[in-house]
Amino acid sequence: MKNIRKILEDATNGICYDSYRYCADEELKVPTINYEETQSFTLLKDRYGETDTSLKQTKDLTKKAKQLSNSEPLFKYFLDGSRRTYKVDDIEINKRIFPIMAGQIGVACCERKNPNNFKCKELESNLVLSLPVEANPETRNTELFFNNLKEKINNTPRVQKIGLKFSNILSYSSKANVDSKELKYEHLGIAAIQDEMVDSEKKIVANLTAKNLLNEDSYLLKDGSLQYKPMKTGEYKELSKIKNNYRCVIGVSKLFNPEFSKDRSGKSNAALLAKLPLYHRTPAYMFQHEREKWSYLGDYKYSVWYVRIRDAKHTESPFAGIVKIEKILITENENENGLESDLIDVITANIINERNPVCYGKDSRWANHLYPVYLTELFLKSKYLSDIHFLNLF
Amino acid sequence: MKQIGKIIATEKVPTTVDEFFFWTDKELIIKPFDVVKVNHIKSSITFGVVEEISHLTDNSSFLAGYISSDFGDVNYQQYTQRIGMNYVRAKVVGNSQGIYTPVLDGSFVSLASEDDIREALGLKDIKNPLPCGYIEMYEQPDSVTIPVHFNSHFLIGPEGAHLNISGISGLASKTSYAMFLLKAIQDQYIEKSKGESVAFVLLNVKGRDLLAIDEINDELTSDDKSIYKMLDLSTVPFQNVKYFYPYSKDIVSSTYGRDVKSQMELNKAYLYKYIFEDDKESIDLLFSNVDDPNQTMESIVNYIATGQGGFNGITNWNELLNEVYEHTKAGASGKDKEITVLSWRKFYRLFRKTIEKTTIFSNSISSKPKDNETRLKEAILNIKKNDVFVIDVAKLDEETQGFVFGDVMRSIYELKLGQAYDRNEADIPSKIVIFIDELNKYASKEVPKSSPILRQLLDITERGRSLGIILFSAEQFKSDIHDRVKGNCATHAYGRTNAIEISKPDYQYVPPVYKSMLTRLKQGEYVVQNPVFRSLLNIKFPRPIYKQFKNG
Repeated sequence: MKNIRKILEDATNGICYDSYRYCADEELKVPTINYEETQSFTLLKDRYGETDTSLKQTKDLTKKAKQLSNSEPLFKYFLDGSRRTYKVDDIEINKRIFPIMAGQIGVACCERKNPNNFKCKELESNLVLSLPVEANPETRNTELFFNNLKEKINNTPRVQKIGLKFSNILSYSSKANVDSKELKYEHLGIAAIQDEMVDSEKKIVANLTAKNLLNEDSYLLKDGSLQYKPMKTGEYKELSKIKNNYRCVIGVSKLFNPEFSKDRSGKSNAALLAKLPLYHRTPAYMFQHEREKWSYLGDYKYSVWYVRIRDAKHTESPFAGIVKIEKILITENENENGLESDLIDVITANIINERNPVCYGKDSRWANHLYPVYLTELFLKSKYLSDIHFLNLF
Repeated sequence: MKQIGKIIATEKVPTTVDEFFFWTDKELIIKPFDVVKVNHIKSSITFGVVEEISHLTDNSSFLAGYISSDFGDVNYQQYTQRIGMNYVRAKVVGNSQGIYTPVLDGSFVSLASEDDIREALGLKDIKNPLPCGYIEMYEQPDSVTIPVHFNSHFLIGPEGAHLNISGISGLASKTSYAMFLLKAIQDQYIEKSKGESVAFVLLNVKGRDLLAIDEINDELTSDDKSIYKMLDLSTVPFQNVKYFYPYSKDIVSSTYGRDVKSQMELNKAYLYKYIFEDDKESIDLLFSNVDDPNQTMESIVNYIATGQGGFNGITNWNELLNEVYEHTKAGASGKDKEITVLSWRKFYRLFRKTIEKTTIFSNSISSKPKDNETRLKEAILNIKKNDVFVIDVAKLDEETQGFVFGDVMRSIYELKLGQAYDRNEADIPSKIVIFIDELNKYASKEVPKSSPILRQLLDITERGRSLGIILFSAEQFKSDIHDRVKGNCATHAYGRTNAIEISKPDYQYVPPVYKSMLTRLKQGEYVVQNPVFRSLLNIKFPRPIYKQFKNG
C-alpha cells in the first residue's frame, strides 16, 4: 500500500529521508514584546489618521463607552485564522534537500446574535502540503502537477479511510532563499501555508460581504492586523474589490511592536503608549504600504490607533492591556483626511466594552484578549486534528 | 423525540457500563429522575436516568469571574456572556437490546417518549399491577405524565412485603401516601371475589387523621379526581370501615373523634375495653419501653398470669392492683425470694399509673347492642375480608398506645396462625395489612431488646410475609428504626427529610443529588424504591380521597 511519502517520491523523482516528524509551531508560552516584527508599512508623516486634527494627546472615552454599553454592540462577527504547521519529512530533489511541510489551516467567523448566543457562522478548515516548485519535474504546468499530486494523495486508502482530504498542495519558490541567508526552506514552506490561511480569511470576509451581513450596525472584528501582504497577482481590480469588502471590518492586534508606534512626526511613541491612561485612545495615524516595494498596489492606507482597555496596575507589562486597532481607509475622503473621529470613538468605545469577560487564567495574554475573539480561537483549535493523528498520516 | 445534547467521553471522565455524561444547552430545563435515551450501537437505545446536572463555563477561577466584572463592579454588563453549557451525569438503566457497552462519544441524547420511559424504568408489563402514584417528566411542552404501578406481589407478598415510609413532610403526608396505597389495594381486592383477599387494621395515632376514611373529601378538585381516574382508581372513599374507640363513659375524654355517637348509630363504631380475665396475658405489653435488663418485670407478669402467689382467683383490675400492692410491703416477698420488693414497687408504680389514667381497663363489657362495646381481640379475630378496622389510640398515653398496638398485633398473629379460635379457614382474609404511624415509638434503635412489641414487630417483618401479615409503617427518621425491621421492608418511600438525616448510613447508596433532592421534595412527592423498578422513582400521588380535618 502506497503511503503519502511514497507517492511524493514517485511524483517528484525525489527521495524521502524518513526523518523526524514534528510540529513546527513554537508555542507561545509567555507574551513577549516582539521587537523583530517586520513591517512593510510606513507611517505617512504629517498626515492625520482622523478628521479631528486638534487631538494631540490622548482622548478619554470612558463616558462614551458607558453611554454605548446599553445599546446594541457594534461588533457582531468575529474572525480569526490560525494554522498549525508540521515538518513531515525531508526530500531530496535534484541533489538539494527540501523539507516537506504540511499544515492544518483553520479560519472561523463566529456570530454573536445576543450575549447568550455565540455560534460559528463560517468555517474554513483545510489540510495542505507545502513543497518547493522544484517538486514538479517539468517546468510547465505547475498548477496541474500539484493538483494531480493532491488527487493521488487523497486517493490513498489511509487518507480515505479516515475521511480526510487535502485541499491544496502549495508551492514555494526556493529562489527567495538565495536573497536572504536568514531564511530557511522551512520558513518558506510555512509562509506559503500562512498565505493560504490569509486567503481563506479574505474569502470569508468576501462571503460575509456578499451576503450583505456587514454594515454600519454590524461590524466584523478580525483578530490580528489587517496589514495583509499584497497579493502575488496584484491585480488592481481584485484589490479594489477586496478593499471594499473591508468597509465594515476592523483589525485588533493583541501583540504589537511598540517601537512601530510612531507619532505624526515619525518619532517613537512607545513611552506615550506605556503611559496611556485607562480607556484613553491615542490619536489615529495614517499608514501606507511601503511605496517603493509595492508601488503597484496604489493607495492602500490605514488608520491605526491604540486604546488601553485594562488598567496598567493590573497587568504585567505597561503594554499589556493596550490593543492596536486598524481600519482600512476606503473612500477618497478617508484617504485624504483620515477616518471620521466620531467613528473612531464609537469603534474604540465598543472595543472598550468588549473587555469582559476575561480569559484570565486560561490565556497568558488575557489583558489584551477580547473574549469573543478568544472564543473564536478556541473554536478553531477544537477543530484541529491532534498533532499525533496528523503526523501519522505520513 | 427532541434531541437535547450529545454524549461526551473524555480521557478523565469516560462513559462506563453504569453511567454517561452529555452536554445540553444551559437553558434547557431537565431535572434529576428524568429519563433520557441515547442512540447506541446496532440501532439499540440505551436509557439513562439523570442524576446530576452541572453548569460549566470556561472560567478558570473565581478570580477570573471577579475580574470579568470589571474588577468587582456588580453593575457591570457585558456584551458577551461567558461561554457555558450544562453537562449531565446519567445512570444507565438499560438498553433496548441488552447491550451494556458504554455509549459512544458524540451519540445523540434525546428526551424519551412515554413508552420509552416505561421501558427504561421497568414500568412496562408489570404483573399484578397496583397503582402507586404517577411520575411527571420534563417541562412543557414536552412534559409527560405516566401512572406507575407496583407489582402487588412485591408489596403485600408473597414475593416481597412490607412498606416503610419516612419523612418529615408534615400535614399527614406519610399517612396520606399509605392510605393512597391501601385504597388502591382495597379497590383491587374488593372486585376480586375469588382467591386472595385482604383486610386492613389501621392505628390512628394523631388527632382525627383516620377517623373519617369512609367519608368523601369535599375539597377534592376535579383535577385530583382525574388523577384517580388516570390511575384506574375509584373516587369513592374506603368501604367496610369500622372504627374502634377507647372506651370511656363520656367518650370525649378518650378520643379526639367527634362523630363517635353518630358512627355508633350507623353501627360502624365500637368502644373497646380490656377485661382482666381475658387480657391478663397481655400485661407485659404495658412495660415494653421499660428497661428490664434482669427481666424482673417479665417474671412478675408471668407470676401474675400463671396465678401464683395471691394472684389466683383475681377477677378484675382493681383486685390485681391491690394484690400487687400487698407485694410491695416490706417483708411481703417472703414466699418467693426471686422477685424483690423493689421490683414489685416498680411494677406497682408503673402499672397503677396506667390503670388509673386510662378507662379502657374495665370490669365488664355491656351486652346491650346499642352500647357497641367490644374487646379488641375479639373484634380482630372476627375480621372479615375487605374490612377496614381503624383503631383509635390518639388520645391514650404512650404506654397504653403500645399496649393496644401490641395486643392488636398479637391478635392478628393468633388469627393467622389459626390458634385460639375456630373460624373457617376460607373466611379469614388471606392478607391482613397493618398500618402504624410513628413506628419509632415501638421499633426504634433505643427500644429495649426485651420489648415484647419490638419482638412482635420483628416477628411480623421477618415471618409475616408468609403468614399474610403485612406491615405498613411510617416514621419521621428512618435512621432511628431498628435495622431488622426496616431491612425486611421490600418497599421504601422517602419523603422530604433534613440534611442531618441524609448524612446517616441509611442513605449511603442514594446518589448525592437525590440526597439533596430529598431535602426539597414537595408535599405529595415521594422517592420510591421497589425491587421491580430499575432505579429510584420520584413519585407523586393525588390528595386523599377521604375526609381531611384541617385542625387535627
